[in-house]
Amino acid sequence: MKKSLLTLALFSLTIPLFAQLERKLVNENMPVELTFHAPRHINLLTVEPLDKKSMHFAIMHTFGPLDGGIENLFGLDNGANIQFSFEFALSDRFSAGVARASMDKYYHIFGRYHILQQTQNDNTPISLSFAGGGGVNSSNYDFLPEAPPNFAERTSYWGQLMIARRFSSKVSIQVSPMFSYFVDPREIYQIEGDQEFYLALGLSGKIKVTDRSSLTLQWIPNLNSDLSNNLGIGWDIEAGGHVFQMYFVTSQSLNEPYQLAAGNGDSPWEEFRLGFNVNRVFATGRKKTKY
Amino acid sequence: MRYLFLVLFLFCGTAYGQKYMTEEGRAVFLSDAPLSSFEGESDYLAGLVDLDQNLLDFYLDLNTLKTGIGLRDRHMRENYLETEEFPFAEFTGKLQEIPELEMNQEIPVNAIGKFKIHGVEREIEVSGFLTRVAKDEVQLDATFEILLSDYEIPLPKLVFYELAENQKVTLSANLKETK
Repeated sequence: MKKSLLTLALFSLTIPLFAQLERKLVNENMPVELTFHAPRHINLLTVEPLDKKSMHFAIMHTFGPLDGGIENLFGLDNGANIQFSFEFALSDRFSAGVARASMDKYYHIFGRYHILQQTQNDNTPISLSFAGGGGVNSSNYDFLPEAPPNFAERTSYWGQLMIARRFSSKVSIQVSPMFSYFVDPREIYQIEGDQEFYLALGLSGKIKVTDRSSLTLQWIPNLNSDLSNNLGIGWDIEAGGHVFQMYFVTSQSLNEPYQLAAGNGDSPWEEFRLGFNVNRVFATGRKKTKY
Repeated sequence: MRYLFLVLFLFCGTAYGQKYMTEEGRAVFLSDAPLSSFEGESDYLAGLVDLDQNLLDFYLDLNTLKTGIGLRDRHMRENYLETEEFPFAEFTGKLQEIPELEMNQEIPVNAIGKFKIHGVEREIEVSGFLTRVAKDEVQLDATFEILLSDYEIPLPKLVFYELAENQKVTLSANLKETK
């Protein structure tokens, strides 16, 4: 008993002698970061948030089908569908964007809201975001014998939930249930489907291969149409402020409504084409270095 | 025997005469590359200066470092500091000579100890100043440089901002006496 008391006393003496501070995280619920390299992943939006007051600029291209061979320089001669997209973060959770794609001269506004962010300690195991928007086909249809579509008939809308998890520093997966709605899906539009309402499940995957590049995958099975499913495979390269995304994909469409309605050919093998995105995030109100 | 315990306990208590702590010191690093120079800063430097035991112990939660560009911060955490695995920068050491602190006088001090970041620990020497600014408060200011390659932090090759190999670190902390 006495011995143990003595030991205790000695022990209590030794602790403060070598007492270091206990290492504590300032924020125990640090969010998991860079689930994906950019707010875009091949063609789909991701849960990757933007910091308040920053702007994400994406320029996206998809070219003609590869099967034209060298004669058409593997589709590059066929002309590209190009989309410019600007997304501004009004807060750390909400951003609003505008985009314009050459396919059907489509003007588009959209918003993205981050509901949950996965945390490093797994208290929140997934990230959850919502996005939705609408746009208008501004092509000139005056050449048609019948009356051209009015503004409302040219519009289409979409919405999607994005549920993502970074399983490890190497592997991230996002599941995005999505819908799109065309007010008047005319045959003259560059879409294959004739339905008004489309449902699909977007699947995005990232497998990090080197510190700053990843293999990327996209598969969008259609849930209520006979159109074939969108398939994409690519490579992301993170280069400082830029993220370059190169991919092969089965559809030339670059925005959500067209993604679901524009079709993907009869089989992926005849419709595969090259695509290329450049993503850049600009910070506004940035702090100047004092020195 | 009971008395011995008491005596030891008392001794224990009196041993902390001059022990100062903070959890909100300031840490700033300056990356001064030829084409691009930027700073990162944090106000969460935690530190202990124990002049009786001659123990200096500081750590910084690297997640709190901000450079003013969110994406750059994320890349810094993810690609360079790897904060998920190595969240802290730590320094534990002692003063070469324990100074006699006089009110409002900057006393130059030298510390030797182990600095650890990115999972790599190295012996470093830091010089700075200790100033007694109130009866129960001391101010510590220190500056030192670290080479990223010493701590196995890779320099980016294919990027549009430059990271300097040599990072200048400035610490400034107001520590309060604790029992």
